[in-house]
Amino acid sequence: MRSRKLTLTPFLIVIVGLLTVCPVLMLVLGSFSRGFGAFGQFTLEKYAAAYTDPAFADILVNTLIFTVGSAMVATALALFLAYMNTRTDIPFKFLFGVISIIPMMVPHILFAVSWLLLLNPSNGILNRLIMQLFGLENSPFNIYTLPGMILVEGLLDLPIAYLIIAPAMSAFDVSLEESSKVCGASTLKTLARVTLPVLRPAILASAILVIVRSLASFAVPSIIGMPGRKYVLSTHIYRTISTGFSADYGKAAAIGMSALAASIVLIYLYRYLTSESSRYVTISSRGFKPALIELKGARYPLFAIVGTLSFVLIVLPVIVLFYTSMLPYVMVPGERAFQLMSWKNWVEVLKDPISLLALKNSVFLGVAGATLGILLSIFVSYVIVKVRTVGSGILESLSFLSFSFPGIVIGVGFMWFFVRTPLYATIWALLIGYIATYLPYGIRPLTSAFIQIHSNLEESSRVCGGSPWYTMRRIVIPLLIPGIISGWILMATMFVRELTLSVVLSRPGSEVLAVQILRYAEDGLWGRLSALGIIMIFFSSTLVIAASLLGKKLTRMRVM
Amino acid sequence: MKKFLVVALCLAVVPCAYGADMAKAKAEGKANFYANITAVEPIMEAFKVSQGVEGIYTRISTSKYLSTVITEFEAGKLAADVLQGPLPILQTLKDNGVLVPYRSPSAAGYPDWARADDTIVQFGIEYVAPIYNKELVKAADVPKTYMDLADPRWKDKIVMPNPSTHATTISWLVGLKEMKIFASDDEWMKFVKGLAANRPMFVASFGPSPAPVESGEKLIAISMPKYIITHAPAPLDWARVGTILGSPRGIAIAARAPHPEAAKVFMDYWLSGAAMKLLADKVGEYVLTPGVFPPIDGISGAKVLPIRELSDDEIKSWGEEFRKIFEGV
Repeated sequence: MRSRKLTLTPFLIVIVGLLTVCPVLMLVLGSFSRGFGAFGQFTLEKYAAAYTDPAFADILVNTLIFTVGSAMVATALALFLAYMNTRTDIPFKFLFGVISIIPMMVPHILFAVSWLLLLNPSNGILNRLIMQLFGLENSPFNIYTLPGMILVEGLLDLPIAYLIIAPAMSAFDVSLEESSKVCGASTLKTLARVTLPVLRPAILASAILVIVRSLASFAVPSIIGMPGRKYVLSTHIYRTISTGFSADYGKAAAIGMSALAASIVLIYLYRYLTSESSRYVTISSRGFKPALIELKGARYPLFAIVGTLSFVLIVLPVIVLFYTSMLPYVMVPGERAFQLMSWKNWVEVLKDPISLLALKNSVFLGVAGATLGILLSIFVSYVIVKVRTVGSGILESLSFLSFSFPGIVIGVGFMWFFVRTPLYATIWALLIGYIATYLPYGIRPLTSAFIQIHSNLEESSRVCGGSPWYTMRRIVIPLLIPGIISGWILMATMFVRELTLSVVLSRPGSEVLAVQILRYAEDGLWGRLSALGIIMIFFSSTLVIAASLLGKKLTRMRVM
Repeated sequence: MKKFLVVALCLAVVPCAYGADMAKAKAEGKANFYANITAVEPIMEAFKVSQGVEGIYTRISTSKYLSTVITEFEAGKLAADVLQGPLPILQTLKDNGVLVPYRSPSAAGYPDWARADDTIVQFGIEYVAPIYNKELVKAADVPKTYMDLADPRWKDKIVMPNPSTHATTISWLVGLKEMKIFASDDEWMKFVKGLAANRPMFVASFGPSPAPVESGEKLIAISMPKYIITHAPAPLDWARVGTILGSPRGIAIAARAPHPEAAKVFMDYWLSGAAMKLLADKVGEYVLTPGVFPPIDGISGAKVLPIRELSDDEIKSWGEEFRKIFEGV
């Protein structure tokens, strides 16, 4: 068994390394090369120019506040929603589960624009409403601030946190809590002393993944941060690239190395904090019993809180999108707006052959890409959690490599790489690029799930004569179903709306939805943009619901 | 007589040497068109209908244009037959050997300065002017000069592309100085500082600039009057502030184009009066075909001038300067 594990690790290192190292290597070469887009003539001047910018210190502080703040918002909300949805008898749980992952399906540009329409200080709909209700003279909220950016990014990353925490929460052995209560601890004390510590790997995984993701995030920092003149690392890189006509991607890559270094440190921190994985095992061979907590009298008040929270934070922006899709141009609600409403944007989008081709390509990339990605993730997660050698550490770092680079830069790395292969300008380049970049979306939920499966189960199977494959198929994978479903959903929804790689790699014939949406954004055609965005949400939701139903069929554990 | 015969022979031969072979173009079937211009689908459709050759439009944003085209070219995988973009981008491509000379007969009526280059034809001007929400700005308050934009009454009411990064905006601001729109450089600087003091909201480019004005979040945008056409029926109008400036737009044929004859046919069609009229009517572009104007009230009588092509270093240096003025960095 050990020799098989040892063979598997280098094999996976080669596969994942090929996927992720090549584009990053191109960027590293570019960052140390003189000239534009050309390799050779070693120089450090791009690093010198990047790190001596007088504004850089402020940008780093903003980035720290933005990423940590987003991680706190996303993880806290995910913990609350996951606890309610998986551990309690709150009504309409399935619906709340879907609502929690809706932001995952909404193109980030659109979600950010919706919040601008709701909370801009001039005529934001929510601001106006609150001013009228309370007779205020000034807008109570200004979205163009760091807290505004944190709120929207936190909500957009909520699904990542939710889909990591919910499977761990659903696989939680309630007998641990019961033991605590038998010993006299209150519900709150049990939550603080038993539940949360056992969930530590999932909470840390969620927080770290959100920090890494928000480091690379561009939509919120550009749509909300730039108008408010709040710059973070990704928008600083954008400014570096977009000043002038000859974009210096080498200098952008030099700045991006900070994000890469931060991500690598975070991954190692995470590994250190979860090094004693046996402490977090809750599914062993004996007494595993997921059970629900009866909320009794608190059932409906808590339902009202979760419902209101979901509505204001997630449903309302989607309603704003639908409203915008019916209008000929952006306008605040009023008599004229309702008079001008029509399905024109929808008709134009559905008649547009490029939009329809983009839809087909994106659904293919979502389904095929997520399926291949999750297969690879199962093996990688197994090595990361169960083998835990130096090799598995290398594998984990490699899996994060292209993910932790700001998207606008890594796309160019992929372009520089793929153009040297026959895959350039084909849909396969997009498929490989997606899997390579978003591998952590598959790996994180699976490692959280793997950590909770005791090796006793595998050993028992082996003692009874089961082969490793038999053990994997009959014991491990069925217990991993919630993690597999979560990872698949994360990857599929991400792939359906992926923008940063696509905008560089997509060519005629391989158009995808997000690129078409970006075209509408560049033309300022918000109505068509919203209509296509809602179509995208519909398809992503269908994929999510199908995956969830399949997951429910395969296991009794509740993920959603 | 001898001179006349030589000239007549030249006139007959030159178009043949450069002209497109329609039969070969049809056999090639399609022309790949890389462009950063928006909303040109009506021209692509009309091209297919009138010439029987398909135009495949690949849109590439300005920030990724050079890196994409040069990377593909160096790897021998440039799919483009025809390239359109701001003049400085095409100039860089020409310097890198990505373009080949072609004199299209369709450009015959264009101004001399627009077809002075043997490779790049300038067909339009990316014209920049203030646009405003005509339902929210009273007629009496509409800016009548550029300096009016520096009036404190517009504080927190203007939206514009970021003048420290957006190349066209940087070139436009510098153009206002170089084209002597202001009485002196001091006056120009007073305008720039006044505009900065009004704390305009920054967006990435001209494309997203009309939306905040349409919705009433802001009242004025430093933008392009073409959005009055493409965003109709939004309540937009343009402020008649005097001479309008903008970056020239160019078009050229790619070296080693996969469909060389189709490329010529496409270029000829693009520069024709029919295509330019579509570009003006449907997209609101300011084109250089004589007598063709976008259907925007007052544009046909406006003085629209191309600004000087700034080098990349100049753009970066001015961007840094504007960053200090607008952001205090």
